[in-house]
Amino acid sequence: MTELSDELLVAYVDGQLARKQLRAVERVLDQDDVLAARVDALKHAHSRLEAAFEAILAGEELDVSAASAPEQEGLVIEWRVVKMAMAAIGIVAAIALAVAGYGWPLSLPGSQTDGASSSTLAVSGWQEEVTRAQALLSRESLEVGLESQANPDFIAFQLSQILGADLKLPNLDPQGFRFMRAQVLRFADEPLTQILYLGAQGAPLALYAKKGKGSEALVEQQYGAIDTVTWSEDGVSYLLAGEVDEPLLMRIATKVKLEPVTPLRTAPKPQTPVNSGLD
Amino acid sequence: MCYPIDSRGGPARKASTDPSGGERGVQAEDFHDSIRPGLIAMLPRLKRFADVLVGARDEGKGLLGRALQAMLAEQHRYQRGTALDVWAFGEIYRYWLQELRDHAEPMEQAKIDEARFGELFYPEVDGYFDSPIVTFLGHLPAQQRLTLLLVYGEGLDHEVAAHVLDVPPDTIAARLIRISGSLADRLSERPPAPAAAIVETLYPEGLRDSP
Repeated sequence: MTELSDELLVAYVDGQLARKQLRAVERVLDQDDVLAARVDALKHAHSRLEAAFEAILAGEELDVSAASAPEQEGLVIEWRVVKMAMAAIGIVAAIALAVAGYGWPLSLPGSQTDGASSSTLAVSGWQEEVTRAQALLSRESLEVGLESQANPDFIAFQLSQILGADLKLPNLDPQGFRFMRAQVLRFADEPLTQILYLGAQGAPLALYAKKGKGSEALVEQQYGAIDTVTWSEDGVSYLLAGEVDEPLLMRIATKVKLEPVTPLRTAPKPQTPVNSGLD
Repeated sequence: MCYPIDSRGGPARKASTDPSGGERGVQAEDFHDSIRPGLIAMLPRLKRFADVLVGARDEGKGLLGRALQAMLAEQHRYQRGTALDVWAFGEIYRYWLQELRDHAEPMEQAKIDEARFGELFYPEVDGYFDSPIVTFLGHLPAQQRLTLLLVYGEGLDHEVAAHVLDVPPDTIAARLIRISGSLADRLSERPPAPAAAIVETLYPEGLRDSP
């Protein structure tokens, strides 16, 4: 057995070694199971530390977001409600078509509303209008007529291509929400992706994404029974919406935000009915 | 895990036309516009740093509030080009040290309550609570907890973490070696490695005894 100290192994695990040292250590590790096990133990310890610190940060973000949520004033709410009601008509109809069985992919006409409404949509927060459309989704919407979408990597690839930006397709199994399907909608003539999850009970949880810039801070808002969290990162605006408790939604949003974005893949697309539809 | 912080995103202000204001006054205004939005954007990270440092949410909030006031009051000390998060972490740490030194019983102040330290991990949010890790961290001195936070929580390299804690980079490395080895042993229930196993070192011998 070759003997290497924890000093060297910790430096190796932390990525602090020069390339030459790195290669030398890797050669030793390839041939020494005991040292390889020690490296695994160090990596395991570090990953648990990272998870612990991440848990603290998630809680802090929850606190800060709750404390900094903008206060709603009556006049603003009234205008927003009217605006949302008008603007949401087109996209609500589109989602109704989607959940009624058209499924993936849903490519909507370029304009679902008249000219005046379209200009309103373009300048208003798309998250708010989409939140109203979310109310049309139910468990039944997802439980019937599903097309198989068993390959998350492939789905992420397709959505990223359509969106024109790297997109997150988070695994929310640990949070109790199973990925059901994803589809592409269209808002103000721009692609809008919708990723749907289902928990053990209750309505679906949806993660919407659209190309655009905005605040990176997690902002929570409630619209009726639907709670939402919005944020932007890397040129993509996200909206997480669902009928779940606010702390849980914020926790999930934090998890999604903290995880790295899936890089746009260049793998060839398999020929499937889904893929053909996208083309 | 670091969030991009724009420390130069504040609106530009016109230079003072009052000769008595002097160049320094203009700079202070500019700095004020620069650091405030940056500090706000990273409040969760600053709060985590303060919480881990003092070991309790309320005390962390108090420390952060006082340190932020001091930072804004002495914003001229912030130098453009310096990462704002690194500067702010360092300021909080220095503020804590200063308060500790001013206290009649600094050693008592540095002790933390285990139960309150456990609350930092927000177990009520989604049930996460890694008891061995929480206990391990709770028994470490504040400087060692911060070393772990900066390197494994914030993803800073050893040199930058050393800058925050005002120690040589080798000290950071030595702390990490000792703590990581100890934690890995504890999690895998392996007895600590005998000194004879150390046949190769990246660091001067003297540093082993003074992390």
